[in-house]
Amino acid sequence: MNVTATLFGQMITFIIFVWFIKQFLWEPLTSAMDERSKKIADGLASAELGKKKMEEAASEYEKTLKDAKNKASDVLNQAQQQSNTIVEDARAKAKIEANKILESANQQIEQESNIAKESLKKELSNLSLQCAEKIIGKEIDKKKHDEIIQKALKDL
Amino acid sequence: MATGSATDNPVEYISHHLQPLSVGNGFWTFNLDTMFFSILIALSVMFVSYNVGKNITSSEPRGMQNILETLIEFVNNLVKEAFPKPNKIVGPLGLTIFLWVFLMNAMDLIPVDLLPKAADLMGIHYLKVVPTTDPHTTFALSLTVFALCIYYNIKIKGSFGYFKSFLVHPFGIYLAPINFILTLVEELAKPLSLALRLFGNMFTGELVFLLIALLPWYFIPVPGTLWAIFHILVITLQAFIFMVLAIMYISLASEESH
Repeated sequence: MNVTATLFGQMITFIIFVWFIKQFLWEPLTSAMDERSKKIADGLASAELGKKKMEEAASEYEKTLKDAKNKASDVLNQAQQQSNTIVEDARAKAKIEANKILESANQQIEQESNIAKESLKKELSNLSLQCAEKIIGKEIDKKKHDEIIQKALKDL
Repeated sequence: MATGSATDNPVEYISHHLQPLSVGNGFWTFNLDTMFFSILIALSVMFVSYNVGKNITSSEPRGMQNILETLIEFVNNLVKEAFPKPNKIVGPLGLTIFLWVFLMNAMDLIPVDLLPKAADLMGIHYLKVVPTTDPHTTFALSLTVFALCIYYNIKIKGSFGYFKSFLVHPFGIYLAPINFILTLVEELAKPLSLALRLFGNMFTGELVFLLIALLPWYFIPVPGTLWAIFHILVITLQAFIFMVLAIMYISLASEESH
């Protein structure tokens, strides 16, 4: 083989060919492939992120539900307690009221009986005085003897 | 040239087939058939790749883009393994070598008499169809790779560093003259072996096709088919080997120092 123009012609063809492939095929295609792999990686990452977020939301939901349940049972308990205390209070108040009424009734009874006693005493003293007047027949010094009768009545 | 005369004079038949269609003398010899077919193949590859490159869809590749993407990925993996630093030339170079050499080799599979016969009818009496059976083509490829090797050697090591690597490799500085000769031979053997391997394989492959063609017509189909099937393997393998070795040589050249 001699060194001929064919050799150089082929070399030039080869160089142009390599340049052409690099310019119009290799670079656009590799960048498209890179772009695609980046897109895929991004998609996977965002999917992962979405999954994580969903899990977070689920756990949040669980937590909120639990809290709500707890709160509801708290409220229920409180209401129960409150109603208990109200009932208890009402009962206590009613008792006190009843006692009061009873007391005042007792008092009234006592008072009335006292008044009755008093009037009975007075009547008795008058009757005994009249009896005595009739027996003795003379006017008795009312003031003097009243004292004695009173004393007697007190001992009664 | 009739088929009858082929069996009458086999030596002439074979040498006729291996005679390139050349114009000019001395340096200005143009092997028109080699250049025609290699440039035709190059242009068709360029046409296809230009169309693919212009209509790239990054979301869902299809058809030719898919094939070329697979090839690019394959070549890119080889380059990434061989090169620690990213290199912008080697990938496209490897891909071009593979595509071009593969398609030029594949011209081998066209029946040996078909195109020469057609050309003969048009008044062209010599035609070598397979450009890689012409050492001009294989040497053009390997010498371009060699030039890139020298370029990277000088770029990375500096011209002095490159010269020094001739002196100290493999035995150390005290045996400098022997080192120089050994390294020179080693360096020169690279493009030589690269070109001759491809040329030799393709040339012998073509020769076997010619020998099969010399058989009586009723014997041709079986060995012809077998050799063609085997040759599909050879042309792919040779294109692949050429590409891998080119990538390896350039990666060796662009290493810092050994």
